[in-house]
Amino acid sequence: MTKNKLIGLALAAPALLWLAFAFVAPFGAVLLLAFQADTGPFAQMSLIPSGEQFRLMFADRFYVDVLWRTTLLAIVVAAISAALAYPVAFWLVRLPARWRPVGFALLLVPLLTNVVVRSLGIVLLLAPEGIINGITAAMGFPRFGTLLFNYGAVGLALLQAFLPFMVLALYDSIQATPPSVLEASESLGASPASKFFAVQFPLSLPGLASGMSILFLMASTSYVSATMLGGKKVWTTGMLVWQEALQNLNAPFASALALAMTLVGLGFAALVSISLRRLTPWIVFRPSQSLATPKLVVQIANAVLPFVRYVLLPLSLLFLLLPLMLVFVQSFNDVPQATVAGFRGFTLRWYREVLIGSAYVDSFLVSLRLAAATLVVALALALPLAFALVRYELPGREWWMAFLMLPLSLPHVAIGVGMLRMLQAYTALPPFMGLLAVHVVLVLPFTIMLLRASVLQLDTSLEDAAQSLGANRMRRLFFVILPGLAPGLCAAGIVSFLLSFEEVTVTSFLTTARLTTLPVRIYAEASFSLQPTVHAVSTLLILLTIAALALLSRIMRLERVFSR
Amino acid sequence: MTVTRRKFGHLVLGAGAIAPMHFVRTAWAQPKPGDELVIGIWGGAQEKIVKQFVEKPLVEKFGCKVSYVLGGTPERRARAYAERGRPSFDVLYLNIFESRQAVADGVTQAPTAAVLQFAHLYDTAKIGGYGVAYNPVSIVYDKRKASKPITSWKDIWNPEWKGRIAWPSYPGAEGTAALLMAAKIFGGSESDIDIAFKKIRELKPFAAIQNSQDNLFQMFDQGVCDLSIEFGSFTRAYAETRNPNIAIASPVEGQAIAMNVACITVGTKNQQLAEEWINLHLSEPCMLAYAKEIYYSPTVSNLTIPPELASKLTTGEEAKKLVDFNWDLVIKNQPQWTSRFNREIAG
Repeated sequence: MTKNKLIGLALAAPALLWLAFAFVAPFGAVLLLAFQADTGPFAQMSLIPSGEQFRLMFADRFYVDVLWRTTLLAIVVAAISAALAYPVAFWLVRLPARWRPVGFALLLVPLLTNVVVRSLGIVLLLAPEGIINGITAAMGFPRFGTLLFNYGAVGLALLQAFLPFMVLALYDSIQATPPSVLEASESLGASPASKFFAVQFPLSLPGLASGMSILFLMASTSYVSATMLGGKKVWTTGMLVWQEALQNLNAPFASALALAMTLVGLGFAALVSISLRRLTPWIVFRPSQSLATPKLVVQIANAVLPFVRYVLLPLSLLFLLLPLMLVFVQSFNDVPQATVAGFRGFTLRWYREVLIGSAYVDSFLVSLRLAAATLVVALALALPLAFALVRYELPGREWWMAFLMLPLSLPHVAIGVGMLRMLQAYTALPPFMGLLAVHVVLVLPFTIMLLRASVLQLDTSLEDAAQSLGANRMRRLFFVILPGLAPGLCAAGIVSFLLSFEEVTVTSFLTTARLTTLPVRIYAEASFSLQPTVHAVSTLLILLTIAALALLSRIMRLERVFSR
Repeated sequence: MTVTRRKFGHLVLGAGAIAPMHFVRTAWAQPKPGDELVIGIWGGAQEKIVKQFVEKPLVEKFGCKVSYVLGGTPERRARAYAERGRPSFDVLYLNIFESRQAVADGVTQAPTAAVLQFAHLYDTAKIGGYGVAYNPVSIVYDKRKASKPITSWKDIWNPEWKGRIAWPSYPGAEGTAALLMAAKIFGGSESDIDIAFKKIRELKPFAAIQNSQDNLFQMFDQGVCDLSIEFGSFTRAYAETRNPNIAIASPVEGQAIAMNVACITVGTKNQQLAEEWINLHLSEPCMLAYAKEIYYSPTVSNLTIPPELASKLTTGEEAKKLVDFNWDLVIKNQPQWTSRFNREIAG
């Protein structure tokens, strides 16, 4: 084995070991379950594989249809989010450095609101008495009636929930484009559109690729938004997995469905990865052909540019912020349920209930500790791995990548079902460690994808220059590589924190009486009847985040964190 | 019967083996201060009420500690099944059909008179655990849209509701009640469900399929639908606070039974504490708190209910008249009916 290979393996080892301990066991359980013939809740597990569950699934048009439609839905969501995310990402890159933290806050704070609340925002947008119908009616057009309970509504909710992830993925790639390249294209007379097609777009492809994979996998495994916006007229595989696993206690069939979806997801990710390599030969120093964009496309693009900048961008931002406004108003609404549409009266009751002697504060602290620990561990594991994947020879690299994406491509409910079989092992761990182990597994795919794109874009000539000037490995790491990675690390850190902070599906299987996270508490309320306290909690969280950002930017120069 | 030497030896051995069990049982029966009781229950109002009216007196009496695992019924049930025999819950709350199945599956215990209030439980509340609240399911509708008040389940099939119905999702408590009532009024039953699917199909297209009470109220607020099948208790709270146009029908065929059931797990280490917990849940202060806050009807007969509250609840003879079903058959058929519902009604 060459030295290069050894270093690659050594760098990859911590992350792979963590996955082996915390993920392989429940995944193995899902795998084993999917090949059982006997579906009773107490059936003995057999080691002789049976294809019965897959036979049932593929013999039935209903399941095949749902699989197919879920796939289409996820592709469309990923594609549209890319189209919406480019203007937002460019806007972020162009923001004056001083304002960039604010821009990021606008983008990320909506992620702090609960998924139930966010879906509610979309309901209010699309309902017969909702915002869109209100606007069209005011403009004298006929009302659309209800726009809910179709694939469009579900797609919109998924878009709203996942768009920030796409923006983050693109942001890092776009802002890494050296200004000199852009200046060169401008001095050669490129119009904004041809600059985009010939320079910025090709250079942003690594970010686009990771964004597409992430979005596809998240959209194809979702079920809360699909349930709320699809009104059961729309089916996704995630919903079926949930129903089979929990309501019918048929873990084998649920596992088989989950595995089928996983295969589709991995197939998509592989396709994206292969296309990326074809389209970006320069990353591995192979010659590339010049990309010629048809003149007509450039002309059209130049013509619609003002529309994109002045209409699409504000609309995208508004769309992201919609739940925030809703949450803020509803937190003062004097009604018994959080889902109520109209404003009936002002009250501070919900804030009182949250702040005085409630369990919310305890749950918030549990979530905070868990998310912070997850962030640290995930970054510590993912960073060396990203280097191993990009710079060193890792035997079977593509297979490892596929393995690393598994936790993302498996519906979370299925991971929960696997966990249930391993419950004894997990309850043997201290509860916090058990949850941490799982949360790290769930966020690792994101951190790895984001950091890998970041490492890909590091300018190695800077490291060569530092070396020629006599900087040793350590100095190069701390003064060249890490500052270069700062935006990627920051994005990956924020994403890990937020994903862990709002994770509910798997956590609700593992939660114990002494360790209830905030989302699990909110979800438990939603399972009965959601009170506006949930809005008060979200508003407080958002205010807290903004205050923390403001304080931080006083102490340190935050803008350096967000740019190279 | 002659007792041979060998038989006698076996008997002695057997008695020796059983004898320590007596002490184990007494050891369980005596809660110590600091013991921890783990309760699996819904969040929100439910958590608040039991904290105040069950936890507080229990802790005062025994010096124990109470912890809650909050969540929806499906997650709680899946977990209890995964932990059968070595539970992390002592008491968990389930729906009527799940509770009976859980007893049959050896996950939870059948109810016994060790809970003092057991003697006062209505008959339907004594199977599959301890019923703690009736929550009857009926037709709820916007009375402005009705040409005449709804008096029968068959009124759902009145053409004036076409396209305006939000049918409840199956298998939930409401969806189950709706399916079974449809079978019953058209001459079918739990063992002859086809007619229900046929008649429900006739109602298509639905304005929506609703999957929770909150979901439904939001649909009423937003004008998505005008009629559905839902718990009367919650709908009453909704109608009183938010939407006075919503009425809850009292159909001639009766309202369908639905019930929350407290279940003690098989293998709990806190048997007596768990029994005391349930006894307190069935006591007057807790039952009345539930009735006042969310209009849950009591399952015990020895209460004094203020008349103005009683008129909004299902009590006494009325409680005995709730339409009950063969839940063993229902749970056995659930996967198959779910599959049919997904294809024939929801899809």
